[in-house]
Amino acid sequence: MDDLEKAILISFDESGNIGSALKSQALEYCQQIKGSSTIFSVCIERLFTSRSVEVQFWCLQCLHDAIISRYSSLLSDEEKHFIRKSVFAMACYEGVNDSNAVVRVLDSPAFIKNKLAQVLVTLIYFEYPSIWSSVFVDFLSHLNRGTVVIDMFCRLLIALDDELISLDYPCNARDTNVAGRIKDNMREQCVPQIVRVWYDIVIAYKSSDSELCANVLDSMRRYISWIDISLIANDVFIPLLFELILVEGSPEQLRSAAVGCVLAVVMKRMDPQAKLNLLKSLQINRVFGLISEEADTELITSIASLLTGYATEVLDCSKRLSSEEGKRVSSELLEEVLPSVFFVMQSCGVDATFSTVQLLSSYVATMKNLSPLTEKQLAHVSQILEVIRTQICYDPSYRDHLDVLDKFGAEEEDRMLEDRKNFLVLLRSVGRVAPNVTQLFIRNSLVSAVSSSSERNVEEVEAALSLLYALGESLSDEAMRKGSGLLGELVSTLLSTRFSCHSNRLVALTYLETITRYMKYVQENTQYIPTALTAFLDERGIHHPNVNVSRRASYLFMRVVKLLKSKLVPYMETILQYQSLQDVVARFTSMDFAAKKTIGAEDGSHIFEAIGILIGMEDVPLEKQACYLSSLLTPLCQQVEALLMNGKIQSPEGSPANIMIIQQIIMAINALSKGFSERLVTANRPAIGLMFKQTLDVLIQVLVVFPKVESLRSKVTSFIHRMVETLGVSVFPYLPKAFEQLLTEIEPKELVGVLLLLNQLICKFNTSAHDILDEVFPPIASKVVSILQQDGMPSVPESNTEEVRELQELQRTLYTFLNAIATHDLSSVFLSPKSRAYLDPIMQLLLYSSCNHKEISVRKACVQVFIRLINDWCTGPHGEEKVPGFRTFIIEAFAANCCLYSVLDKSFEFRDANSQALFGEIVTAQKVMYEEFGENFLATFLSTRGFIPAHCSQDVAEQYRQQYRQKLQGNPKAFKSFYQSYIENLREQQNGSLVFR
Amino acid sequence: MALPNQQTVDYPSFKLVLVGDGGTVYAVDLCGYDLRKTTFVKRHLSGEFEKKYEPTIGVEVHPLDFFTNCGKIRFYCWDTAGQEKFGGLRDGYYIHGQCAIIMFDVTARLTYKNVPTWHRDLCRVCENIPIVLCGNKVDVKNRQVKAKQVTFHRKKNLQYYEISAKSNYNFEKPFLYLARKLAGDPNLHFVESPALLPPEVQIDLAEQQRHEQELAVAAAQPLPDDDDDAFE
Repeated sequence: MDDLEKAILISFDESGNIGSALKSQALEYCQQIKGSSTIFSVCIERLFTSRSVEVQFWCLQCLHDAIISRYSSLLSDEEKHFIRKSVFAMACYEGVNDSNAVVRVLDSPAFIKNKLAQVLVTLIYFEYPSIWSSVFVDFLSHLNRGTVVIDMFCRLLIALDDELISLDYPCNARDTNVAGRIKDNMREQCVPQIVRVWYDIVIAYKSSDSELCANVLDSMRRYISWIDISLIANDVFIPLLFELILVEGSPEQLRSAAVGCVLAVVMKRMDPQAKLNLLKSLQINRVFGLISEEADTELITSIASLLTGYATEVLDCSKRLSSEEGKRVSSELLEEVLPSVFFVMQSCGVDATFSTVQLLSSYVATMKNLSPLTEKQLAHVSQILEVIRTQICYDPSYRDHLDVLDKFGAEEEDRMLEDRKNFLVLLRSVGRVAPNVTQLFIRNSLVSAVSSSSERNVEEVEAALSLLYALGESLSDEAMRKGSGLLGELVSTLLSTRFSCHSNRLVALTYLETITRYMKYVQENTQYIPTALTAFLDERGIHHPNVNVSRRASYLFMRVVKLLKSKLVPYMETILQYQSLQDVVARFTSMDFAAKKTIGAEDGSHIFEAIGILIGMEDVPLEKQACYLSSLLTPLCQQVEALLMNGKIQSPEGSPANIMIIQQIIMAINALSKGFSERLVTANRPAIGLMFKQTLDVLIQVLVVFPKVESLRSKVTSFIHRMVETLGVSVFPYLPKAFEQLLTEIEPKELVGVLLLLNQLICKFNTSAHDILDEVFPPIASKVVSILQQDGMPSVPESNTEEVRELQELQRTLYTFLNAIATHDLSSVFLSPKSRAYLDPIMQLLLYSSCNHKEISVRKACVQVFIRLINDWCTGPHGEEKVPGFRTFIIEAFAANCCLYSVLDKSFEFRDANSQALFGEIVTAQKVMYEEFGENFLATFLSTRGFIPAHCSQDVAEQYRQQYRQKLQGNPKAFKSFYQSYIENLREQQNGSLVFR
Repeated sequence: MALPNQQTVDYPSFKLVLVGDGGTVYAVDLCGYDLRKTTFVKRHLSGEFEKKYEPTIGVEVHPLDFFTNCGKIRFYCWDTAGQEKFGGLRDGYYIHGQCAIIMFDVTARLTYKNVPTWHRDLCRVCENIPIVLCGNKVDVKNRQVKAKQVTFHRKKNLQYYEISAKSNYNFEKPFLYLARKLAGDPNLHFVESPALLPPEVQIDLAEQQRHEQELAVAAAQPLPDDDDDAFE
């Protein structure tokens, strides 16, 4: 063994006995050899001598790469001849000079032969047909050397398809041209011969070497789409294919391969009439007998796709043909094949494929414009509904897993949700073309499921309910409200039904979702309101023993309340005193409930939101409203106060149990308050407002007692957000204390929360927010500046640790905050004596980000801040300087860096819409600077380094300056387009040679 | 199959080839998670760190253990992503591969476009192995490859999962699928969830459900036409 072979073996080593230093040395050595000019003979020689598959693989890989990189320019004709001759010899099982000592590559494993096929294809790419026109014909003449060569020929054809012809792979225009050239020449030169050979091989080997035949058929299948179809679709080949399919006892692989070929024939793109004739001539009914209720075998699966493909093509013909005769024949063929398609889907355990659902969908789609449907069509519709129901039914063996939702149950549920989607889409289209049949089908399913004693009844009930739910998704508002057809009856029965399996989690959930879906019917037919309410409030809903069902029920109940609103006023007392609604309310704030894991957003607080919406309506008289509200708020607040008293004695971290309860209470109050509008609480009924103010007072105490508990801080913050909306300006007196507490020992993440709260205040109250802002700005600025300056600019895109993400988030929120201040006439806040110290660092942050931030929208926000500040602080060119140094900063730093250098940078993309918007602001900034500073600005800006292209004469430079001045004074739009072309021109001139930043 | 610095194991182990482009960032994510777990567990039990195998060039191999109801199994994940540039063995690393994951990045369209090529190159060397297609980074808000645009797996009968290595979303799914295929047992289960690190980001479930809804609707759509010879 020589050094190269040793190096190859070391590089491929998987035994773990070789150190990484040696390994990388070996790889380097191989790499070096690869670059040598004798690489072709080195590789070819070893392919004939080495028995190591690693060496063979490396050599083939190397040949492949070298042909691609050197063929066009670096190879002599002799070398090309040598390569061609040697590779072909390997592929045809020949040795060099036919000596016995020679290694034959075709004796190696499949992956070596595939690699060899790839090399051969690369040669074909360059040489067929111009240089090596006989490659295929030559190969054909060697097939008599035995099955190993035939196998190699199949691999070559498959590789040719994979590497060049198939359109499944991205390829450039040149490769597409080459593929076209190869196909054209093959069609003309050798395709008929190849087809003949396929036939002969299959005939010769069908009983002795089925694997070989299957390979031949697999390669043939790929070519059917582009060769003359009559070569295959004729009296010789088609009977052979069906014979292979139908012979019982022959290997599945071979039968399936033959099915694949017939499918390829079926799918061939053709003129519809010719296609229909072809489909008819196939006599597809010959394979119907093969589908039985046997197991899910490879053969059944392939037959299922064949039938689906066949039906799809027939359907397509019937759409494209306009002649009566064409319509008749296609509908006959369809009638013939559809029952088998249904049968396969229902009985053979074959997983319905996408294409089957697709077929049924397009079949249903053809009925859209037919009315009424024929008997036969209606029968097919029923069949389709039956298929859907079978496919969406859970397997009873998973019942207990699904009920407790353990690992197995969760997985099964996921799988089913995924599988159902397609079928439910199909159901909705069926429901549209045949509403009556569909409704009747669903009703019967429901009735029979309920009365059935079969062991599947739970699953059947669930499936029937799911069908009804899905149907509801497709109904028009009007149909829903009227309860057209059987719907009204269905819904009213459903509302008063209690299934024996109602304790089952899935049944209960699906039931609730379904009645919610049909609530619009109840909205119109108010006599059903009591039964609907009962369904939500009794043990089918909020009192369901399963906590997940009960939480979902409280969410759905909230949605129902939102929908029915004032229609519920007559039932208010009933609802609030219902059985033990109070229990549920109490349970929510108990430790037991809080400790249970929540699923997504379903924390159970929605019951409070529902109650809030109910009692917050203006239709409720004041005394009653006050009474209801205080009966809820008072005990909750007392509970919090008691826990706070407790907490004062304990550590500021609090006990986990108490923290959890307080958290739940805040969430409950928060949810409750959502039902009360600002108008009601402040203008109409101040007494109600007072109750919320008192609550706010209590909850702010939470911040005082537990200053270090982040979860409580965020809950209280959300409550303040709500109170800003609910209480309006009367929230102000509570804010200083709240902010004082929030700002102590604040983390970057929490700071974001505080900034958002301030943004809300600014946007809601505009200049009225001035005083509170004035107070909190200095501590916030001090915090932000120290955090962002100390950590620098987190601008490396690859680093996305949580910490960096938090800082980026803070940065982004800060700029939104500064922007809100500036654009709401609050810029004086920056200038108050206590804020003054932070003015400079904040301006530096803004300047840096206006030029460099990776998000263009952030840059824009920063530039907008500057525009406002220039307007606010620099009145007139000779006016008093309100902020000493600001004008100079703007004219010198901002103008040059942001208005010139940042856009001059090639990364600034003028074709991007966001960047265009930013550019618009930058242009406005220049106009504003000119208005405020006049010649002062111009003089500095126009002499900025880089504004004038290098090597310009004085005259030309002066011309540039004149032009800019003129345009700046003119129409803003014209100035914008002038400045853009000016910058683009400038970029071209400097040609990347000048780096400013 | 043993690897440097790693003991051979006496339970079934499989060579898993991890391919896909767009740099190592996301491909490593997948293994990285569990690696940190293994490291953590090892340290916890024996006070030792397990080192990962890192040759100077080429490929990284990460051992990944899973406990199943049929016993423990190990995947040796050969992370070949990104080694192209360093002139390694490229498809040579696929030799003896027993299963594979093809990754793409739903935030970069090109990585999906290249999936067929990865699949072809893989199948040339490893005939008939189970393969999973994974769309990673589904936690990112503005994805470029929408769920409904992912159709390749349907053509080639691959399993497809949307995953987010960062949030551990569907993390186990590809491995479970491959384990079942390799064991020939569709009911095989992982008996104990690998102790994943807490997710770095919370996945927006509502958003994800929307994508999956899209996927379903898309599934009902025909595959895009791609045959050039419309008529014969």
